[in-house]
Amino acid sequence: MELFRALAVLAEPPTEETGRVAEALGLGARPCAEEYAELFVFELYPYASVYVGREGMLGGEAGDRVGGFWRALGQVPPVEADHLSVMLALYARLCELEEEGGNEALRAGWRGARRAFLWEHLLSWLPVYLVKLAEVAPPFYRRWGEVLLKALLAEIEVAGRQESLPLHLREAGGLVDPRAGEGDFWQALLTPARSGMILTRADLRRAGRALGCGVRMGERKFVLKSLAAQNARGTFDWLTEEAAAWEKRHRSFEQTLGAVADAWAAKAKDAGRLLGDLKQEASKVI
Amino acid sequence: MNLNELNQRVSAARAETEARGETFYPGPSRIHLAAFPPKERWDDWVELDSRAWPERRERRYMLVPTTCFNCESACGLLAYVDRESLQVQKFEGNPEHPGSRGRNCAKGPATLNQVTDPDRILYPLKRAGKRGEGKWVRVSWDEALNDIAARIRTAIEEDRHNEVMYHVGRPGEDGFTERILAAWGVDGHNSHTNVCSSSARAGYQYWMGLDRPSPDHANARVILLISSHLETGHYFNPHAQRVIEGKAQGAKLIVFDTRLSNTATHADIFVSPYPGSEAAILLSVANHLIQNGLYNREFVRRWWNWEEYMTVERPELETSFENFERALKELYQSYTFEYAASESGVDARAIEEIARAVSTAGTRFSSHNWRSAAAGNSGGWMVARTLFMLNALLGAVATPGGVFPNAWNKFVPKPIYTPPHPPRWNELTWPREYPLAMNELSFLLPHFLKEGRGKLAVYFTRVYNPVWTNPDGFSWVEVLRDESLIGCFVALTPTWNETSYFADYILPMGHGSERHDLHSYETHDAQWIGFRQPVLRAARERTGVRVSDTRLVNPGEVWEENEFWLELTWRIDPMGDLGIRQFAESLKHAGERLSVDEYYEYIFENSVPGLKERAAEEGLTPLAFMRRYGAFEVKKKVGAVYEEAVPEDELVDTRVDGFGRVYTRAPKPASPNIVPISSPDPDAEGRRLVGVKFDDHIARGFPTPSGRLEFYSRTLADWGWHKESTPTYIKSHVHPDNLSEGQTVLISTFRLPVQIHTRSANAKWLDEIAHTNPLWIHPRHAAELGVKTGELVRVETEIGYFVVRAWVTEGIRPGVVACSHHMGRWKLTEEGQRQLMATVSLDQQGDRWGLKRRKGVAPYESTDPDTTRIWWTDVGVHQNLTFPVHPDPVSGQHCWHQAVRVRRADTGDRYGDIDVDVNLAHEVYRRWLQLARPADTHSPDRTRRPYWLLRPLKPAREYFRLPEEEELVSAD
Repeated sequence: MELFRALAVLAEPPTEETGRVAEALGLGARPCAEEYAELFVFELYPYASVYVGREGMLGGEAGDRVGGFWRALGQVPPVEADHLSVMLALYARLCELEEEGGNEALRAGWRGARRAFLWEHLLSWLPVYLVKLAEVAPPFYRRWGEVLLKALLAEIEVAGRQESLPLHLREAGGLVDPRAGEGDFWQALLTPARSGMILTRADLRRAGRALGCGVRMGERKFVLKSLAAQNARGTFDWLTEEAAAWEKRHRSFEQTLGAVADAWAAKAKDAGRLLGDLKQEASKVI
Repeated sequence: MNLNELNQRVSAARAETEARGETFYPGPSRIHLAAFPPKERWDDWVELDSRAWPERRERRYMLVPTTCFNCESACGLLAYVDRESLQVQKFEGNPEHPGSRGRNCAKGPATLNQVTDPDRILYPLKRAGKRGEGKWVRVSWDEALNDIAARIRTAIEEDRHNEVMYHVGRPGEDGFTERILAAWGVDGHNSHTNVCSSSARAGYQYWMGLDRPSPDHANARVILLISSHLETGHYFNPHAQRVIEGKAQGAKLIVFDTRLSNTATHADIFVSPYPGSEAAILLSVANHLIQNGLYNREFVRRWWNWEEYMTVERPELETSFENFERALKELYQSYTFEYAASESGVDARAIEEIARAVSTAGTRFSSHNWRSAAAGNSGGWMVARTLFMLNALLGAVATPGGVFPNAWNKFVPKPIYTPPHPPRWNELTWPREYPLAMNELSFLLPHFLKEGRGKLAVYFTRVYNPVWTNPDGFSWVEVLRDESLIGCFVALTPTWNETSYFADYILPMGHGSERHDLHSYETHDAQWIGFRQPVLRAARERTGVRVSDTRLVNPGEVWEENEFWLELTWRIDPMGDLGIRQFAESLKHAGERLSVDEYYEYIFENSVPGLKERAAEEGLTPLAFMRRYGAFEVKKKVGAVYEEAVPEDELVDTRVDGFGRVYTRAPKPASPNIVPISSPDPDAEGRRLVGVKFDDHIARGFPTPSGRLEFYSRTLADWGWHKESTPTYIKSHVHPDNLSEGQTVLISTFRLPVQIHTRSANAKWLDEIAHTNPLWIHPRHAAELGVKTGELVRVETEIGYFVVRAWVTEGIRPGVVACSHHMGRWKLTEEGQRQLMATVSLDQQGDRWGLKRRKGVAPYESTDPDTTRIWWTDVGVHQNLTFPVHPDPVSGQHCWHQAVRVRRADTGDRYGDIDVDVNLAHEVYRRWLQLARPADTHSPDRTRRPYWLLRPLKPAREYFRLPEEEELVSAD
């Protein structure tokens, strides 16, 4: 479906031709490069592995699972198979292959592939991502996100439902309890597939303002830990509230996404519960 | 707007944009892998100037395609020509090129270094003092051309045609210069191939009648590479990227290499055999397939020349396929895994694992051998022959994932003129001792000249540096300095090299972006042409300026060879009385010299099927299309040509012989593709071989004497090599049986992936990555010798020694040492390339020659500020000087591996020292000459060479006959 390919282009840095695509989509004038960089380079990295991987980083097993989908189709995975643009372009191609299928059996085969990719690799994280994007993006990308979310959810009706929970979400695990002394609690908090939350740089700046703390320059984990070092109790309170807000956001998708929304909501709920417990011993945890 | 309407609107916008010939989705982008500037913007492409960072300064470019000239694979480059300065800012890949598909290795972008090299040669130079003295004067092109043309004309007028010789290293084109020599009536083509790939070529030639493989790695199930290409060699990025594609799709990669090469690091199965034992392993794999019935029986029955083998070699048996299968089992039963293990030192279980993997490949088995194992060993040609035997057993020949003959994956368009075959034979390049040599015995030239076999009036070297590249370089120095042997030596080179110091003229020729050439290569199952062009000329022409002479846009007075050869041809015969000028004359404007525009215009308009139509789609002439895109794919998926039915109109008064060979009186149909193909002999009544008869049809077959794949080579049997007429194992000259106490094997054949033989001395990016060549020694071996990494060792060959630093590494088989031949560049004075050439002194005491390093490289002031940042001093050791010649008696290939003694350096030894006894070198030459089986005593039909074999500049058939007086002598 051409719509997904056109939407995919807009997750790339804007160029002269981007304007033509944006116009065709009715999104208005093309964004400037600074807006793109602020959103996709600093706030919401457009890679699936960041949101569905158990490390919350680029690549790893989650990235390889996306590459595996290409291999299962007999194709060589591109260098960044889990980049949002590549994923949407692949989905567009799967839609076309289904339409072009010479007979019903062939079409059914492609429909199966399309459904699997939709649920395993797109719906497993993109609604969560786009909800966050709607909060932090400039107007052009907010409009782009709205169209993309609408188009994705509409696909459920066309491609059909999937019963099982996507493998990414089954494999991710939850938060680690810092009191057990194992694992990296702070990193897990910043790993959406484990905490049920996406915490961007903008969120951490917001926390700093709310707590009256200085926001130090550095990677997100460093910023978060420095907030906790300045005001441990307050930081845990803020995080607990964030988890609750995320649980609510996930619940809003229960009707459309079913088990996927439940899984995300459960992660946020568990995170909220653990953060609530830790609040009592906040100063020890940090 | 609902989603469906939105979808339709986007689709419509895309269709409308693409209908205008533009690209809807932007590049670089991950959508459609469009990681290249869209082609409609190649006239005005905007990028930020990286040097201006953080300021956002835009630069506008014209993107002009050309073809890389830094190896033979002819990848596409895209020059970014600044629209303001009209200078090349950078080179990237050309996405329109079917072979390289926009992806290049390091050597492609480094073309920029060569172009901007502050030490390059910019003007024609003429020797002022004695040869090799280092004194030069700048001369005009006119002066050089007139002098050289006069010398050639005199030689031709005095019937001394064989005194004109052109010696080429990297051709980079398909036959242009050969046709110039043919126009002169000169059999003077001399290639470097016998120090390179002749043995591998022989192995393929005797199977399929074509001398080069075109493996389809991307679609293979199993890939078997013998000391091979991917990143190991200095070339063939198009294969490398397809090997990786094959692997990504699940292909198993097997690599044989005594060293842990870059290719080996990618392998699923890597074995490190004793050098020269590769054929024994391959035959044990073949034996496994044969004894267990795991081969493609129908393919073997149909396409091997087993009937000929049985009839000639096993007359006592009835000629049936079942009997052949029994004979095959007997023939190879001794090649057990254990035998292969005892020869190679590789564990028998590992060899069995390889055999099992190969047996699963079916017709998706791609394999490749080019140099090293084939080029290193006497009898190395059997490595390629036994390797291809696996393809022939599996039926993996011209199948998806199999191996194609190169000529089927290559397109050489017919040019404006095709001069006739030269009416003479040059024994300096094609001596009678080597009737089966795949190419000219180029590396024996100094020995032949010293023996008085002839002399040269004019000797050209072109992209070739025999003093440095060839074995026994001091013998080359001796003959190059002797004006009675070489009257005029002309070095056509863009850069200084070890040979050019001894030249009479140095004529500066363009790098890859400064010249025209047309080139095709067998990168995959397709046929394409790549157009190399002077990018600044093409850029100016886009702005409406007409350029008639490439010198006008190149730096200094650097020229290109097409124009040079045409002009020289014209000056040899300005009035046309020798019948030579006609081949350099314009068809459009009689009496004028042919221009490069007309030359290529003719080819693109008349000889490239589909190009005219494709160009018309964009409103371009074929020449303008090629100038714009640089490449054109003539045909995709050529497939199994041998199975194609011969059309009825080619079957006239046919005769079918006892082996099913079909001969016809119909002439060979004209083809726009003149790629060299072997020419099997006609039948007794003059009919040509046209195909092979099967029950259902007459198939095209292979260009071999039998029309089939030749398991049994009647040619080899008839010309004195009966034992070697079927694939077998020939023990190398470095086999343990042939080594003396204390000797070990030196592997000198491997390359550094980022370097180019002789033209990258000042490619600064490449030099910084690779600039030296230590001796690889295994830790156990090093412990026995008492040496550590960085310490000096002396390596003694048959004729002298060199002193080099040790590199102790587990990446080499214990007991074998290795040193890359890519390094050890030198110069005699401060002149020359200063980034990768040490300054040395040569010392001659009678037959004894020495080379001592006076100074390594160092930072220096130049037009390029980077030359002040050179941090390396060591540029390696020139080991080839210490190697005597080792001509293989069959293929004619120089067998590179050396039996050496390695020990700690003496107290007085210094890094880079070379010591050689040239007299000893000549003795070794004489010894190897004795191994040859000359045409005089072994030719079955009193010819110099089997006519059907490929040969550059093939003389007319009557000149294949040995001279009559020789017949009388032998009759006595």
